[in-house]
Amino acid sequence: MTHEDDRTLAYALIAAREAGRACVLATIVATKGSTPRKVGARMLVDPDQGLVGTVGGGCGEAEVIESAHRVLECGVPERVRVDLTEDFTSWSPAVCGGVMDVFVELVGQVDRPSRRPS
Amino acid sequence: MSDSIDAAQAARALLEVAEAGGTGAAATVIGPPESTRLGRRMVHTVEGDSGRTLGSLGGATLDSVVVALLRDLMTDPRARDGVRRIGAKEDASGEVELYVEVRRPVRELILVGAGHIAQPMAHLGALLGYRVTVLDDRPDFATRERFPDADRLIRADFSDPFAEIELHERSHLLLVTRGHKYDYECLIRALRADPAPAYVGMIGSRRRVRATYVQLIDEGFEREVLERIHAPVGLDIGAETPEEIAVAVAAELVLLDRGGSGFSLRSVERVAERFFDSTGSGEPRDRETPP
Repeated sequence: MTHEDDRTLAYALIAAREAGRACVLATIVATKGSTPRKVGARMLVDPDQGLVGTVGGGCGEAEVIESAHRVLECGVPERVRVDLTEDFTSWSPAVCGGVMDVFVELVGQVDRPSRRPS
Repeated sequence: MSDSIDAAQAARALLEVAEAGGTGAAATVIGPPESTRLGRRMVHTVEGDSGRTLGSLGGATLDSVVVALLRDLMTDPRARDGVRRIGAKEDASGEVELYVEVRRPVRELILVGAGHIAQPMAHLGALLGYRVTVLDDRPDFATRERFPDADRLIRADFSDPFAEIELHERSHLLLVTRGHKYDYECLIRALRADPAPAYVGMIGSRRRVRATYVQLIDEGFEREVLERIHAPVGLDIGAETPEEIAVAVAAELVLLDRGGSGFSLRSVERVAERFFDSTGSGEPRDRETPP
């Protein structure tokens, strides 16, 4: 993450929080092999404003967005393992050759009860 | 026991401390999946001599272990963000997996001169994470329209260009004024600055740069000081246009920061050579036995 990415994301987070909107933050916490983005890359899923930042795009990011919907629903953080190690000779977009772990967490409150103690 | 802070509060705290020239670090509990502390977060910041802790992971012993860990990471320039495990003995409720991240003081790119090279350089500097400042004595040049990515636009007299800004170890200066006379004046100021800036680059042809060095030696500057100047500026990539020159300078900044070789990776890795027999028979190697 560059300082500018950091700043953009921080402002988006603060704006969502001040508007009282719950959103989801996804952070790449570990990678193995080649991945489009590295540890520390972040994406904010704001149900109102869309996506801010990226964790690499493509199928991997789609998995993270699916997880974000679950997290938004029940408030419980998830750790998603995204596997991009399909055969190099295939035309799949998931051929970077690596695996990454993405931590997906809620920022703000959900109305529904969650199993997570506060 | 204080509460955890959320990602928005943590992001704001880290951003503010980095912009103020301090260092901050955050720890977030990301495992094990059954942990009741999942998602809890704390931040520790250091600015000058004062340290500050925000939030709690939900246990006094765990908090103090984590603050010590964060402080270690902050003082180790090679420390990388990532997953750390805290053993069960430090925390009564068992092993905890943390994601730790460090924010170091923001690096500054100061473009002295708001002309053709400064424009693409401001873009690239912002892209690389620098806080960009543009200085010029012509108010029509250092404008928001021309420099949408700049953090600060300053009208300055080149006889005292850094009057309004503080130079420090994280300052990266690029001297690209409209005249070599001004570049030279600013260069002398930059070389005398204490503490010395991380980077002082000056535009100019080989001939022009040579003349500058002769002048500096006549002024009595020592060799060590001259060796700090990056001129001619940038990596040798055959740059000609202002945009290409900006890329060459940006590449030099990354090289200094990360410590690469400056060579093309293909000539470092030599893939073709590794896959074909070095005897020159032209026969590819067996692909199942990697070289």
